[in-house]
Amino acid sequence: MRIARILSLFWRTSWAAEAEYRGNFVFAALASAGNLCASACSLWLFYQGGGGFPGWTFDESLVVLGLFSLYTGVVGSVLAPNLGRIVQHVEQGTLEFVLLKPLDSQLQVSLRVLSPWGLADVGWGVVLLVAGLARSGHAQPSLLWAIVPLSSGVVLLYALWFLVATTAVWFTKIYNATEVLRGLLDAGRFPMAAYPAAYRFVFIFIVPVAFLTTVPGEALLGRASSSMLAASPFVAAVAFVAARAFWGRAMRRYTGASG
Amino acid sequence: MSALQPTSVGDRIRAGWRIARGLFRAGYAYMTEYRAELILWALANSLPFILMGAWTQASTRGHFALSPLDLVRYFLAVFVVRQLTVVWVLWEVEQQVQGGKLAPQLLQPVDPAWRHLMNHVAERVARLPFAASLVVLFFALYPAAFFVPSAMTLALFLVLVAAAFLLRFLVQYTLAMLCFWTERASSIEQLNFVLYMFLGGAIAPLDFFPPAVRAVADWTPFPSMMWLPCRVLLGGVPTAEVARAVAVLVGWCVVFFVASRLLWRAGLRRFSAMGA
Amino acid sequence: MNEHAPPADAATLVEARGLSRIFRVPVHGEGTGAALRHFLARRYKDVVAVDDVTFSIRRGERIGFLGANGAGKTTTLKMLSGLLLPTKGSVRIGGVDPFPKAPAFLRRIALVMGNKQQLLWDLPAKETFRLNAAIYGIDDATYARRVDELATMLDVARLLDQPVRKLSLGERMKCELLASLIHGPDVLFLDEPTLGLDVNAQVAVREFLRRYNETTGATILLTSHYMADITALCDRVLVIHEGRLIFDGDLRALARRFAPRKELRLELPAAVTAADVAHVAGDGVAGDGVAHVATDGRVVRFAVDPAQLSATLVRALTTLNPVDVTVTEPPIEDSIARILRGDTGGTTPTTTATHSAPATTATTEPRA
Repeated sequence: MRIARILSLFWRTSWAAEAEYRGNFVFAALASAGNLCASACSLWLFYQGGGGFPGWTFDESLVVLGLFSLYTGVVGSVLAPNLGRIVQHVEQGTLEFVLLKPLDSQLQVSLRVLSPWGLADVGWGVVLLVAGLARSGHAQPSLLWAIVPLSSGVVLLYALWFLVATTAVWFTKIYNATEVLRGLLDAGRFPMAAYPAAYRFVFIFIVPVAFLTTVPGEALLGRASSSMLAASPFVAAVAFVAARAFWGRAMRRYTGASG
Repeated sequence: MSALQPTSVGDRIRAGWRIARGLFRAGYAYMTEYRAELILWALANSLPFILMGAWTQASTRGHFALSPLDLVRYFLAVFVVRQLTVVWVLWEVEQQVQGGKLAPQLLQPVDPAWRHLMNHVAERVARLPFAASLVVLFFALYPAAFFVPSAMTLALFLVLVAAAFLLRFLVQYTLAMLCFWTERASSIEQLNFVLYMFLGGAIAPLDFFPPAVRAVADWTPFPSMMWLPCRVLLGGVPTAEVARAVAVLVGWCVVFFVASRLLWRAGLRRFSAMGA
Repeated sequence: MNEHAPPADAATLVEARGLSRIFRVPVHGEGTGAALRHFLARRYKDVVAVDDVTFSIRRGERIGFLGANGAGKTTTLKMLSGLLLPTKGSVRIGGVDPFPKAPAFLRRIALVMGNKQQLLWDLPAKETFRLNAAIYGIDDATYARRVDELATMLDVARLLDQPVRKLSLGERMKCELLASLIHGPDVLFLDEPTLGLDVNAQVAVREFLRRYNETTGATILLTSHYMADITALCDRVLVIHEGRLIFDGDLRALARRFAPRKELRLELPAAVTAADVAHVAGDGVAGDGVAHVATDGRVVRFAVDPAQLSATLVRALTTLNPVDVTVTEPPIEDSIARILRGDTGGTTPTTTATHSAPATTATTEPRA
């Protein structure tokens, strides 16, 4: 209850702080729409000349693209604005304030800010998702089945970003490590079937992009393999525990409790 | 040129060269301080490799204008061209105008545009060894894609890359001038970037576009910033088509050069009127 | 509240025993080759920031940590507040180890850093207060009362609805203080709280801290390299030099310790000669008790150990016929300035007074 109250204050203040720059929102929405248009067009290009992704119709691929846009929105609204600050906190020494508050420090650095920037992506993503589902004849998607892989996807995305952003505690000079991750996650805009076998291996076992968009997409379309469905919360849990442990390690280093 | 001042042009060129060299050195020293970031920026540009995978996979199923091997080389070229034509001048200008750091620059006898340009050139040189080793690594992992273009093609490629960089720089510098009027210039650049990636051919070679879209895209500045050099490197483009693309490129360079200068002057008037 | 044994003296709040902190710092070489070696096999050297520091602080004291930049003040403060784990030794605050940062402990303390801010930049300061109140679980009535009290004491009531970015540095620091004290802490850690402030704002912050201490009985530990902060506010000073605690006591004792010698100034009827100097210095009779400081025309100055003062005066008065004689104690600011410069070895009093504050005591009229 107390956490909910604090979070609502966190987000209210961050919205108020961005209020003065609200005009940007129109452009952000336009850029986001343009981006999505370009993605949809490139997807369409794949389906020209008899190509396309094996086992996925164009409309089904739109579902994956919609999910990708949704996750891009989460990155833009929550992950990038919050986790991008870890570097600043370390550099300017304001992490001290965070550490001395009687509230979990990982929670404070992860959810301090809710930025409106990603909302357009979320909105367009939902539009695309619904359109893709409706056009591919899945007007009543298997929401219940999808809820687990979808929330696992969000947790996984958070954990991956958090792991990379926390390296800032060691390498203060490097502020753009998350850009590399952002580039790799771009692979999530297409279903895994779009990629050669070697790529798929990487996207399942090394940078688990597959669990972000493809598996939830398949679940929504009611045809996810049970092994992938079972794996997705497991992968998310492992990543989350790793992120939590890594933060603990980073803070032990920051406070000198470890060599 | 004239008999009265026989050395003035030569002197001016020499003076300009000295300034450019000085700016380059300063920029290079700065960039080497940020080597680690440069490497990460280079790695962050993994989109061409992702699309390379998706397109080669798709081309094994459907019929496309380019063979799978051509597609691999095309996207490798896209990666190289992106490395060589990255531009961020808008953010530099934004920082200066809104951070109040422009005034001291105006007191120097060098137009700030030169400083920005040389910063970009210096960054390129600092990044080059790393980008090159990534290409070598790629060929080591995928030797089938290795190819040696003719000297003529390579020379043309390099000239076109330089021109592509110049145009991209001029377009973004023109948008950067909007910083004098609005705080949202970077949002406009985001929109510009989407168009650049799509119509420039970073998402898919323009050869795959429907003819109607292609006909429109060919007259925008974007294809010459990426698709043109990449496609020339692969070979097989009719000379007439290259010539037309080069003409479009030159035309847009002129347009954006003039536009950026006009906006710069108007912007400065506004800047000094605001008492900054 | 906790299962730790209560401290021996119930009034003791802070117990630091053998506190040490060693930092491992990577050693960089020059050039690309060195950079590569550094990447492959880092070499480190140990830097001792704080070395075997022991002290205890009673509830309600106002303590000043004094030392040059890099002497170890801030490191000590960070270990006391639980931000840094000591390499050796232990800290107890009210019998509790601060490092685990137990919520109950965190609710009792506050940290204010002069060069860092927690206020939300684009919003009125009130928003930060409200946020902190929620984090510390302060109910609305207590919140309203505390903001009211503190804002009155700090004289910032009219500033609380303005965006923080529009406030002056001094106003911002006052709001920082308010934000840090909203939960009513009874231990305050302040790291250079007056850094960069103008003189008026410095005085205001100091006065506020004194009143806060007097009205709430809170313990105040601050580091500063403005001597005025320490002399105006602190009743006890801990001097840290190169990581070691070299002094622990009140201001007067500090002056005696670091400026134990009095200054003897003689104005002679004629130019001072080497023989005159040698004579006053006692020709070795007085040993190290008298040292020649400076000669300027007919004026000569000595640093004299109090035990040697009367003998030296007799020698000077009987043989040199001085026109004027002055004995002064160098101002405490000077001795502190010496410590801050990292110069603690010598006992020679500083001969140039750079501060306007008067000497704390003077045996005769101060120099004109």
